Amino acid sequence: MDTIKLYIRSMGMLLKSQFQYPASFFMQTLAQLVMEGGEMLALILVIDRFGHLGRWEPGDLFFFFGIMSVTFYLTECFGRGITGAFPSMVRMGQLDTLLIRPRGIVTQVLCSAIDPRRITCIAVGTTALVIGSRLSAVRWTFAKAFLMAEAVSFGFLLILGLFMIEAIFCIHSVKSVELVNAVTYGGRSACQYPATIYPRPLRVLFTAFAPFALVLQVPAGYILDKPLFDWPAWTAFLCPLSGAVLFGVIYMLFQRAMHFYRSTGS
Amino acid sequence: MSYIQVEHLRKSYVVRKKREKGSLLREKSRIDALSDLSFEIGKGELVGYIGPNGAGKSTTVKILSGILTPDSGNVLVGGRVPWGSRKEYVRHIGVVFGQRMQLWWDVPILDSFSLLRDIYRISETAYQKRLAELTDALQLEDILRTPLRLLSLGQRMRAELCGSLLHRPELLFLDEPTIGLDSISKLALREFLRWENRENGTTILLTTHDMEDIHALCSRVMVLGHGQKLFDGDFSALLSRYDTVRTVLVRFEEETELPGIPSVSVSREGESLKLVYSPKELPTAELLERLRQTGTIREMTIQPQNIDHMIADMYEEMAL
Repeated sequence: MDTIKLYIRSMGMLLKSQFQYPASFFMQTLAQLVMEGGEMLALILVIDRFGHLGRWEPGDLFFFFGIMSVTFYLTECFGRGITGAFPSMVRMGQLDTLLIRPRGIVTQVLCSAIDPRRITCIAVGTTALVIGSRLSAVRWTFAKAFLMAEAVSFGFLLILGLFMIEAIFCIHSVKSVELVNAVTYGGRSACQYPATIYPRPLRVLFTAFAPFALVLQVPAGYILDKPLFDWPAWTAFLCPLSGAVLFGVIYMLFQRAMHFYRSTGS
Repeated sequence: MSYIQVEHLRKSYVVRKKREKGSLLREKSRIDALSDLSFEIGKGELVGYIGPNGAGKSTTVKILSGILTPDSGNVLVGGRVPWGSRKEYVRHIGVVFGQRMQLWWDVPILDSFSLLRDIYRISETAYQKRLAELTDALQLEDILRTPLRLLSLGQRMRAELCGSLLHRPELLFLDEPTIGLDSISKLALREFLRWENRENGTTILLTTHDMEDIHALCSRVMVLGHGQKLFDGDFSALLSRYDTVRTVLVRFEEETELPGIPSVSVSREGESLKLVYSPKELPTAELLERLRQTGTIREMTIQPQNIDHMIADMYEEMAL
C-alpha cells in the first residue's frame, strides 16, 4: 500500500516537472498522435483493400488493433522507467543512487519516469476499440468487461516483463538491444493483427515466448464471440495469467542481474 | 568496538581489453581496486580519505554504502554488514556524490524533500523538525520553492546535502563535495559539516582532492594508493613529513644581485626574487641575515610549502 502511495506521489511530481515545458509537451503529444494515427490509417487501408483477413471482419480487426494499442501505450506511459529510462540510468550511474535508498529497485525505477505524451496513442487505441465493438456488434456482459480489464492488466505486466529483458542486458553491460526490440516493438506491430494470420513460427513466438496472443488476443476472441484458437471458452480467463508468469520469471532474472551488478560494479 | 570496522577488504575488477588482431579471445586483465585494506573508524569521527585517482577510494565508499559486494574481507558498520540486507542497511547512511545529483531536476527542492520523506518513511513530525533544522543550517529558506535546475552549483550542493541528511543517517559519505564550488560556498559547506558532525554526532567520511577541505575539517586522514592504506593518522603529522621547503619572495630597494648561497635556488619573479630553500639545510634566521647584508629590503614574504605540492611529493614518494 505504502509502495502504491509512493508511486502515485512520484507520478504527481513527475507530471509537474513535465509541465514545466508546456510547448515541448504539447508538440510531442501531437507527434505521438500523428504516429499512432498513422498506424491506424494503415489498418484502415488494409481493411479498405481486402475487406477482411481470413475469418476476421473489419470490426474484429479494429478491436485487435485497439486492445494492443491501449495496453502497449498504457505500459509505455506508466512503466516509462522500465521501458525507456533504465538503460541510461545504468550508463550514467544513476542506478547507484537508487541502491542507496531503502526501497526496491524495480519500484524506484518505475517511480522515476512517466510518459504522459502517450495519452494520444491511448486515445487512438480506445477509438479503435469503440469502432471495433460497434462494427462487430459486441454484446457486452459483466464477464466480458471483467475479461477486458484482466487482459489489459496482465498485458501491462507482459510488456513490462519484455522490456525488463532489455534492462537485464543493460546491467550485464551489453549494448546491443535490437534483439529485445524485436519482441517488444516488433511484437506490438505484429500483434496488432490476430496471430492466426501468421505462419506457424511467428504464431509459436507470440504464443509461447512473448505471449501477446494468450494475454490479449484469446480474451479479445472471447469478447468478439470468435475464439482465436479452438479452445474451450473458460481458457480465455486463464490465458492472460501467462503474462504474470512471464513477468515473474523475468523479475527473478532481474534480481539476479542486480546481484551481478553489486558484485562486479560499474 | 569501533563503529566502522574494515578487515582485509579485497576487490578486483575484470577489465576486457579490445581484441587484438589475430587472436580469437579478448584479453582479460584483473585490476586490484582494493588489496587487503583494513581500518577502523569510531562513532562521531570526521575522517578524510585521500589518494590519487584510481586508488580505490570510490570502490571503498561503494562497498561501505552497500552498492558493491567485495571479493573477500569483513566490514561491519554499526554492527551491520553493508551488502547484507541492503534496504535495512541504507536507512542508516547518507551518501553525497559531488558530481551526481540525487534530487529531481525540474521540481522545487521542497517537493524532492517530501518525496524523500516518503521513500525513507520518515514520520511527519520528525521530517518537519529535521527539515527546519537543516534549512536553517544550510540557509535554504529562500530557495526551497525553486526548481533544482535554476539553482547555482553551490545552492544545489547545499540542497543535495539536506536531501541526504533528512533521514538522520548515522554515517555520511561525501564524495568530493566541494568540487567546482566558489570560496564562499566551500567555506559555508565546511562550516555546515562541522556543525552536523558536532550537533548530531554524525560520522563523516570525506573523499576529496581539495586538501584545504581536509585541512579545515579532518584531524585524521587516511591515504590510499594502489588499493592499500599508506597512511592513517594526524593530518598535520603527515604534512610535517613533506613540509620540507619554504619559499621567500624578497624585493630590494634597488636592483641587487644576490651572491650565490648554497642550497638555495633563486629565480626572478617580476621585481622580486624568489628563493626556495630547505629550513633543515639552511636555518631561516641565517638566510634572513644574508639577505639583510645584501641590500635594503623593501618587502618580503615567507610562504610554507603549498599543501598540494606536499601531497604531490607524498604520492611521488609512495610511487603512486
